Amino acid sequence: MSSLLFDNVYLKGSFSIAGPLEKIGKIKKYDLTFDDYYFKEKTFEKAEIKMQRIAINRLLSLNDLKDSNIDLLISGDLSNQITNSSYATRSFDISYLGVYSACATFCESLIIASSFISNNSLNNIICVTSSHNLTAEKEFRYPIEYGSPKKKTSTFTATGCVSTLVTSSRSNIKIKSATIGKIVDLDFKDSNHFGAAMAPAAADTIYNHLNDLNIDSSYYDIILTGDLGKYGSIILKEYLKENYKIDLKNHMDAGCEVFCDSENVNAGSSGPVTIPLVFFNKILKNKNYKKILLVATGALHSPLILNQKDSIIAIAHAVSIEVIK
Amino acid sequence: MIMLRAFLIAGLFCMIGQVIIDNTNLTPGHITSLFTVLGSILSFLGLYDKLVDFAGAGATVLISNFGHMLYSSGLLGLKEDGILGLFSKLLCSSSVAIVSAVVFSTILAIIFKPKS
Repeated sequence: MSSLLFDNVYLKGSFSIAGPLEKIGKIKKYDLTFDDYYFKEKTFEKAEIKMQRIAINRLLSLNDLKDSNIDLLISGDLSNQITNSSYATRSFDISYLGVYSACATFCESLIIASSFISNNSLNNIICVTSSHNLTAEKEFRYPIEYGSPKKKTSTFTATGCVSTLVTSSRSNIKIKSATIGKIVDLDFKDSNHFGAAMAPAAADTIYNHLNDLNIDSSYYDIILTGDLGKYGSIILKEYLKENYKIDLKNHMDAGCEVFCDSENVNAGSSGPVTIPLVFFNKILKNKNYKKILLVATGALHSPLILNQKDSIIAIAHAVSIEVIK
Repeated sequence: MIMLRAFLIAGLFCMIGQVIIDNTNLTPGHITSLFTVLGSILSFLGLYDKLVDFAGAGATVLISNFGHMLYSSGLLGLKEDGILGLFSKLLCSSSVAIVSAVVFSTILAIIFKPKS
């Protein structure tokens, strides 16, 4: 069984930073926004490092904590060797774990943090997730200067950073359980359609989660998937219905909630920051959602392995969260 | 009239590219290479010269013209100096485009910062 039950794990506060296109998108209200992709730094990578640093600092001051109060920092992003996360952490005197699961990074870090806290080995853990459109696109797609046309099924990496505190001290947001996903490989090779590559992984994890915990999908007020986009969401629902006989009615995809429809973003938003941006700034602010299942999906390929004609493999991790009184 | 013909020929090539990108898994990189090869095959068949006469810039500004220039200058080199000429003259007529691309993009990269 790959599902875990947590005891005494809470989320306390978050800090969200969003980029230029995100702030004119559907959500609009973030803790901090900026207009320039450089964020007053010399390179895009340094801009992403700065985002993470600010997100950690502001979260610390929000909770009235110092470096010494934090037991562990878990962060991840899309850059090669996750250097942006590691370099952002060098300004802090906190133990650090860098994680990578592409766009499933946020849920992976929540699962690791929750496990440490649930078994009482640590008390305060900060989880940070970021992505930057212009650091990621050049690694996974084309250099931005190339200006190549994009397919309607392609997604647009969101720019932003979200930090949150996972803690053992009680708050109104409780992390109840989680399901660690398996690698799903359906021999899919279209690098312009990550939604289709990741949808089967999301379906597999949702099925395992409901099955392990012996609950129905209607138990949740909302099931928020990571960044499947417009077409990936449709595929997920059809796939669940056909293969697992699950009719998903309370589904929302974070990829469809960040940007307004425009030609640039095609199928929607992607990147590890997509799901936490929507979760903290839309879902948690809506009082109707009490029982929430986060399913972050990630495509774990690299351009190199695709050039070697291998397929795109995907993973999805689920975290169950409950808003309590 | 030449403008109409240029529009029709260039439009036809672009339409083929659009159909390919919408209906296959090929990326823009694949399609660029495909059109270069297509240009050199048309040149081998003697059709590309006729296309240039017919449509003017409608045939020469496309990436397929790069294939045409590679083939024609390579062939010229082969006729004049044999196998060594094929190697030394292959890029002759496309040199203007390649060198200007390198020079101007270097200048622009120094002046401007890349943006989205």
